[in-house]
This record gives sequence, structure tokens and C-alpha cells, in this order.
Amino acid sequence: MSEREAAKYPFLKAGLELLDGLDLQLDDLTDPNYGKALDRAAERVKEAIVQGVVSAKLADPLTELLSYPLAVMYVTLIGEQFLSRRFALAEAVRAYNLLQDEYEEKITRIAVDEFGWDIRRDPENIDGVPHTLKLAYPDYLRAASSFHEAKWKLVNRKMENGLVCLTGVEAARLLQVGVEQWVRERVSTPSSFTLPEPLQKRLDDVKKVFEENRVRLSGSQLPDEVINEAFPPCMRYCLEGLLAGKRASHMERFGLTSFLVNVGMPIDDMVQLYTSVTDFDESLTRYQIEHIAGLKGHRTKYTPPTCSTLRTHGICRNMDSICETVSHPLGYYRKKVRRLERQREQQEAEPSNTTAQQ
Amino acid sequence: MDEDWGSPEFVKAQFRQWYARNSDTIPAPIDIAHREFAFLTFHGRTMYRHNRFPTLDKLRRYLRSNAPAHSYHSSGYYDDPAADMARKGWRGADLVFDIDADHFDLPCQMEHDRWWCRNCDNQGTGHHPEICECGKAQFETETWLCARCLQAAKHEAQKLLDILIQDFGVGTDELTTNFSGNRGYHVHVHSDGMIPLDQQARREIVDYIMAIGLEAEYQGFSQRNRGVRPTLAEGGWRGRTGRALYDYIQEVEPEEVKSMKLSRRATKSIIEDKEKVLNTLMKRHPSNVTSLIDPKSLQTVLEKAVKLQASEIDTVVTTDIHRLIRLPKTLHSKTGWQVQTIPYGSLPDYDPLTRATVITGDPVLLEFRWAPKIKINDVEYGPYEEEEAELPVGAALFFLCKKGARLKR
Repeated sequence: MSEREAAKYPFLKAGLELLDGLDLQLDDLTDPNYGKALDRAAERVKEAIVQGVVSAKLADPLTELLSYPLAVMYVTLIGEQFLSRRFALAEAVRAYNLLQDEYEEKITRIAVDEFGWDIRRDPENIDGVPHTLKLAYPDYLRAASSFHEAKWKLVNRKMENGLVCLTGVEAARLLQVGVEQWVRERVSTPSSFTLPEPLQKRLDDVKKVFEENRVRLSGSQLPDEVINEAFPPCMRYCLEGLLAGKRASHMERFGLTSFLVNVGMPIDDMVQLYTSVTDFDESLTRYQIEHIAGLKGHRTKYTPPTCSTLRTHGICRNMDSICETVSHPLGYYRKKVRRLERQREQQEAEPSNTTAQQ
Repeated sequence: MDEDWGSPEFVKAQFRQWYARNSDTIPAPIDIAHREFAFLTFHGRTMYRHNRFPTLDKLRRYLRSNAPAHSYHSSGYYDDPAADMARKGWRGADLVFDIDADHFDLPCQMEHDRWWCRNCDNQGTGHHPEICECGKAQFETETWLCARCLQAAKHEAQKLLDILIQDFGVGTDELTTNFSGNRGYHVHVHSDGMIPLDQQARREIVDYIMAIGLEAEYQGFSQRNRGVRPTLAEGGWRGRTGRALYDYIQEVEPEEVKSMKLSRRATKSIIEDKEKVLNTLMKRHPSNVTSLIDPKSLQTVLEKAVKLQASEIDTVVTTDIHRLIRLPKTLHSKTGWQVQTIPYGSLPDYDPLTRATVITGDPVLLEFRWAPKIKINDVEYGPYEEEEAELPVGAALFFLCKKGARLKR
């Protein structure tokens, strides 16, 4: 395999072997000859932070290849989960952009050799679109089950005998997820060691860029108090059912409880809510709520199920226009809170306008 | 002193006798050493969980000495099945499906299922309402079964098997179909591809089998699509959707079409130009249907139609990777019947009402409070209401397990 190939796709086994063969130590990298690779590594991380996609600079393949493991090192040294996720995605998008231009044969070879997929060429024309590939459903699901668009739902794909029909571009898109998972595994464990001066200088630079962008990228916080009017229709339905004394399914109770925990309803209020309308035992109810809130047991705070999970279990209902744009009940809540805030600001602004006109 | 309703001591003794003679017929679940086992006894409501049996012999010995009321094994495989949940070490899980007539809306439920409000005098037949007229939602229920609901469950199970085999390519040697011992069927899939799948992937499989999120456009029904051939003969949901629509439009009553609030043109096409729509489906690419039924109306009709082809499975069971499921060939203490494994291909002829009664013995005299009519082993029993009757042990156990009667001393 050429250096250029390895530079394009740093996850290829052959490329990794090439790097291993160089047997570079940290101190070797202080040699000015490696300055370009160190710079490019820092640039890769910065591109991930700022643009969300890493570019492909293939004119100098060896530098491009070397810069990948160094970029991984920077990311693990910063040790922020949020950055790791963003970097993995940005590297994966880089790979996707390159893969789209490859011959189909190359795409399938990478899928089979590097990711162990059961994929084969078997052309079929579906509604006028040539679908040249077929992928085994377990591999398909591993990659596609996190997508939200309807066209990726298994039920909307043509599948026979366990094989899902795909176009070449779709296969590349699924491989992007494979790459993302591959990179994420390699950057998710924080590391800590001292770097030689030239490397440390570049790391500090990357850190600075990360800090500057952190707030912009991490999204808005939920308000401190619970805004009932901002509840999504599904949670409102569960809550109203509960208030009427309806026997809720396990999924409904778990969905509602984890939602209320996450929007910040105090536990005492929730215990009160549940025990006032049902014949639940107070201490058992408290225990279960505290478990979901991460105060008991394994100390993990549960997030509510996604919209698609709620849909599977028949809890999604009365969808409105905000529902169409979100994939999670908390996403709905966040959006509706912002919308309500804007409405309130407008209402507060309007009366003074009318006064001025009078 | 009168016996308790259901005469649990008698039932327990019958179970004990049966296990003493038959526990050696209980087969080992695949990879028994990495499964968790759980049991319920006749007394108390605690489930005995986190049991592990390194060998089949140890499992059989347990069944013999404990004669449980209900026996389960995990769908999952663990490094240490006896550890608590957090330390078990999940290795993978079979894909399991539960089809339970209890979840369907069937006319026969009005005949054999009853409910009472615990708060007021209100009572009724079939499913209880979500909330009682008194404003509370606390109900006592009594659910029985009959040949019709068992048939309905079997129909859903057959559709599930077809989808698993044709669409997912599951081999018949990777499938186990069990009669649940009560009102339904369990299907276990043990295939290398399925075992490592996470909850999210299993949820997609559930959506596939129930046709949740199915959109007309991706089944060929869109003006943007190009094609010449009809899809009725295609595999997967594309073909199934076309056939579902064909069957539905052929049989739907005009009143039902009107109640769906479709566009005027779509309503007219389906009611008055039925033959034209059917002909288009039969002879041309589905995109041509959109000129007769607009896309929005089509989606509404499709959603109704595909439900008839989809299988009504329990969504929670299949997405749970730590599920406990009944151990095949053991006894079910809500009926006294056996959980039975049905060889592939034999489901259409399988009838639990003649096969699942495995405990036999001399007739016993029962005192009934209430029980609906049911045919067991080709003999019709009931309905009974505050009367006495002598029944063979097998049939008697069923009424005792359902708590509709007790032994007459």
C-alpha cells in the first residue's frame, strides 16, 4: 500500500504497520525535521474544534500520516470527553469525504478488511436508483441505528435474506460511523505524561483554541426551575395520565421520571407527585426515583429515552411542529424553553411600544 | 375449613409429582453455564434470581427438588450469571419475542375476561378502562383464554417467523418457537449475528417487525420514484407493503374509508375506482398509485394496511437484553400447562388445548365460583357458576390455576 493511501485513511492496518516500523519515540519528534508533522497534528485538532471536520492534505503524505497519531495524543492529553467525541466525528467526516470519491471496490475492500463487514457486490435497481451493494443487517444496524432520517430506518430499506441493499455513497456514509467508533475508542481514555518543549508548545496552543470555543460548542444549559409549559406532548400525556391515576407502563414511568429528574424537579416533589395519585409505597417510590437520579445503585443519572425509543414503545403521541425538529424529549424542552423566553421578551417589549405610540 | 380458591397445595403437589417423573425431559438452553435462571414458588411473590447451573444435571435436580411455579432463564449470556446485575459481565443475548393475546383487542375477551374496580362497585368484561368512572385506576382482573385468542396469537407468531426467515435470513435451525404455557408464544433466535446487538439495534428490529416508521416513499410509492415493474412479488417490506395495500383496498368497507378523512380524490379512488387502483398495483410500478391516491392519504391508508402484515410483538421484551424468559418444557402455574417447543413447520397444526395438558390422573371434584367455557383435550367444559363438577385432573388443574375453582372436600 502506498503512503498516500495510508495518509488518506489512518485507520488502515497497513498504515499503522508503516508507523510502527518507524519506531518513533517522543524525544525523536523534537528534531526540526518533524516540525511539519507536529504543526499538522495541532491543526487537525484545531480544525475538528473550529470546523467540525478535518481537512485532507495529501500533497505531503508522510506528514499527513504521521500527524494522525500525534493529533490523537494531543486529544487524550487534553482529556475532555466532549473534545474526544468532536475529534472522532471530524476525522470520520474527513474519511467520508475521501471515500465518496473512491471506486466501490475500494469501499467494500476497506469495509471487509478493516471493519470485518459482511458486504458484497450484487446490483439491484430500486425505483430507478442503482443499489450495487448488499450489507448484512447486523453490520447495517450497528452503523445506522443512530441515524434519525427515515430513509435509514431498516423498515424503509429493501432487505431480503438478511442483506440490506445500499448504494456506494450510502456504504461510505455507514463506514463513516465505523471510522468514528474506531477513532473514538482510541481517544476516549485520557492520558497524562510530560511532553518535550516543542510538543508542549503546540499542545498549549490547541488548548487555547479549545477553551475559546468550548462555550460556543457545548450548547445551552437548561433553566433551573421546571417550566411545565415546555414539556413535550409525550411527557405531558404521561404526566396527565399519572395525575388521573392511570396505571402507567414501566416504560412510561421510567420515561417520565427520568425526564423530570433531568429538567430539575426536586426529588421530594416527585415523591409527593407519585404517592399522591397512586397507592405507591413512599419509601419504595423514593428509592426508585433516587436510583434513576443516580443517587442510589450505580450512581449513573439516567437520561430519558430518545424519541425513536418512545415511538417503538407507543409512548410518542400528539406530535407538534417542534417534535419534527428534535430527536430527544430534552431537546424539545430546551427548544421550547427558548421559544417561550423569546415570546416573553417580545410581550414585555410590546406594551412599551404601544405606550410610545400613544 | 374451606380450601383457598385455586387449592394451591394440591396444584403444588401435582407439579412436584410431575417434576419427580419428568425433570429429565427438560432440555438445556444453549450455553447453559452462562445463563441466569430464576424461579417463582407457589407461596410468596419473591423471585429467586441469579441462579446458575453449570450442568444440565444440576438444573434438573433443582427442578425436581423445588418444583417451581414458574421457571425462567435469561436471554443473555454472562461471564458470571450468579453475580448481581452490575457484575454479571454481559456477553450477548438471544433475540427473544413475546406474543401475548392479552395485548390484543379481541371479541372473545368480552366473554372470558372480567374486571372489578377496587374502589367502587363498577365492573365489566374484556379489558378494564384506563380510568374507572370513580376516577381511580385500581382494578382486579381475571383473564381466561379460549381457542380463538390462542389462534390469534398463533397467527401473529406465524407472521413473525415468516419475517425472520424471509427478511432476516434466520435459519430454521436458529429458531425456537415455544407455546408460552398461557396465552401466547415465545420465539427465541439464537444466531451469531443477533447475539451481540445492543438495545438500539434490537429496537430497529422491533420497528421492522411491527412496521413502525414505515414510509410510503421508501416502498416505491412516490412520484419521485421511477420504475416499471410492480412490487407485489418483491421480498421484504416493499413487496409486503404492496400486498398489504392490495388486500386492504380490496376488502375495506366504504364507511371505514370515509372515517379516515382522506382527500376527496383518494376517497373516490378507493371506493369508486377500486378496480383501477388494484389493477395499477398488480401491473405497474407503485409510483403510479400516487396519481390516484395523494401521498398524504396514501400514508394514512398504508399505516392501517401494513399493520395486518406486521406482527404484534411485545416491544419491551425484545429490546431488553437482560430479559428472563420461560424455560421450555417446564410448567406454568397460571394454567397448569407445559411450555412446549414446537418443531419448525408444525406451528399451523399445533393446538395447545390438546397438547399442553401434560399432567394426567384420576378425576377430582371441584367447586366452581365462575369459569367461562373452554374445550380441553376435545372435551367441552363450562361455563360454570357456583356449582360442582367432577373433572379429570388435567382439566381440573386449569380451572384451579386460574383460581376459578377449588377442591371439594
